[in-house]
Amino acid sequence: MTTTTLRVAPPDMAFAEDKDYARELRIAELLPALERGDAVVLDFQGVRFATQSFVHALIGEALKRFGEAVLDRIEFRNCSDQLRSIVDLVVDYSLGGFSIPEPAATGNGKRRESR
Amino acid sequence: MPKFRVPNSASLHAARFLLDSNWFFLARGRRATFELNPRWSHMEPLALAMGAAWGAWCRRQGYEVKVENLGPRARYAARMRLFDHLGVPFAPGVQEHEEAGRFLPVTQVNDTRSLRSVMADISALLHLQDDSETLAAVQYCISELLRNVLEHAASPDGAFVCAHNFAGKALHRVSLAVVDCGCGIREHLGRTHTEAAGDDAAALNLALRPGVTGAVPGMYGTPDNAGAGLFITRCMAKGSGGYFLVASGQAGYRLRRANDPQQQEILLEDPLAERHDSWRFRHPWQGTIVALEIRTDHIGDFDEYFAWIRQRTPRQAVASQRVRFT
Repeated sequence: MTTTTLRVAPPDMAFAEDKDYARELRIAELLPALERGDAVVLDFQGVRFATQSFVHALIGEALKRFGEAVLDRIEFRNCSDQLRSIVDLVVDYSLGGFSIPEPAATGNGKRRESR
Repeated sequence: MPKFRVPNSASLHAARFLLDSNWFFLARGRRATFELNPRWSHMEPLALAMGAAWGAWCRRQGYEVKVENLGPRARYAARMRLFDHLGVPFAPGVQEHEEAGRFLPVTQVNDTRSLRSVMADISALLHLQDDSETLAAVQYCISELLRNVLEHAASPDGAFVCAHNFAGKALHRVSLAVVDCGCGIREHLGRTHTEAAGDDAAALNLALRPGVTGAVPGMYGTPDNAGAGLFITRCMAKGSGGYFLVASGQAGYRLRRANDPQQQEILLEDPLAERHDSWRFRHPWQGTIVALEIRTDHIGDFDEYFAWIRQRTPRQAVASQRVRFT
């Protein structure tokens, strides 16, 4: 299997929020590589933070189109802790949807463990 | 006539009075009036961005904007470039030391180029070079909110953004606002979510939940939109203990500040289950207002916010195990 390495290097490297850039990378590089059956390395070297919208624009369609199995062909390289959480989040809701909102209730919230 | 009356306190804390005491878009006459308080006013980014968006709307509709009670006490609003957006010449003497204030003046953003310019300037303008956690949170919120307007609001004038880093004696916080006079949340979501059509409050409540986008009905969204931006922005404010406000049409929602650290640590998916205020205004805001606070002394670790938010979505056990980080 051929491996394609894609450098995720948006204009403002440290804070990746430019969805236009993510969309271009997705359409021009990521999806064609996956269509060919390649393995893909998404290298986030130099990116410290990203918005959920940026990561969604980058990988959401690939997950939707190819399903969970595509994760065997994508490697996420040089991700900060924040990026890892965002990627996890996008993978989860892309494959499983968000949880269905429940009627107003208390006591079922999630607690931030550390500050 | 359209009128924007600024009360003494035009802040997030006193937002209800600002929003409920005005008939901003009354279509009558040929003149629009922006009325400053004759004595003094405390204006925060919320009111400044609203004023600029309203001014742009008035000018687009052909109204002549007049400002009442313009005087030396309006110096702060002038430094924040409010009167530029109202189209009213006003140039009070500016004290040089004040120019180094920690603020992003009211800025119109109507394309991605101007958005990138704002993003590039935030750090220096808000003096956040040495506070990377707050800077990341502010950049995150501003980016998501501005892109929401550009992609969904159908606002001819784009968005108006304003921010101030309050670092003095008052509560340490960055207060920011993004305002537009576009189609509003009800119209946007109502196209694909029947429960939002015809009801500003229902639309607003829906918009604050994760996974709701006007792009398509149902959950998940499109290749370019997931419908999580406003939810995560709300989480940012909640996690730092600050206010978060959204108003559109005749409905308003405000997440309250945390009184103690424990309150800000619990994240509830349902916005109505949070400590909040829900308002119905007598007259609508034609468009959408989002304003929030990032409390700089409570921000904590920005990385950790996402692990926290992450817990609010169901973990697809198999999928998560298959994500390979190297």
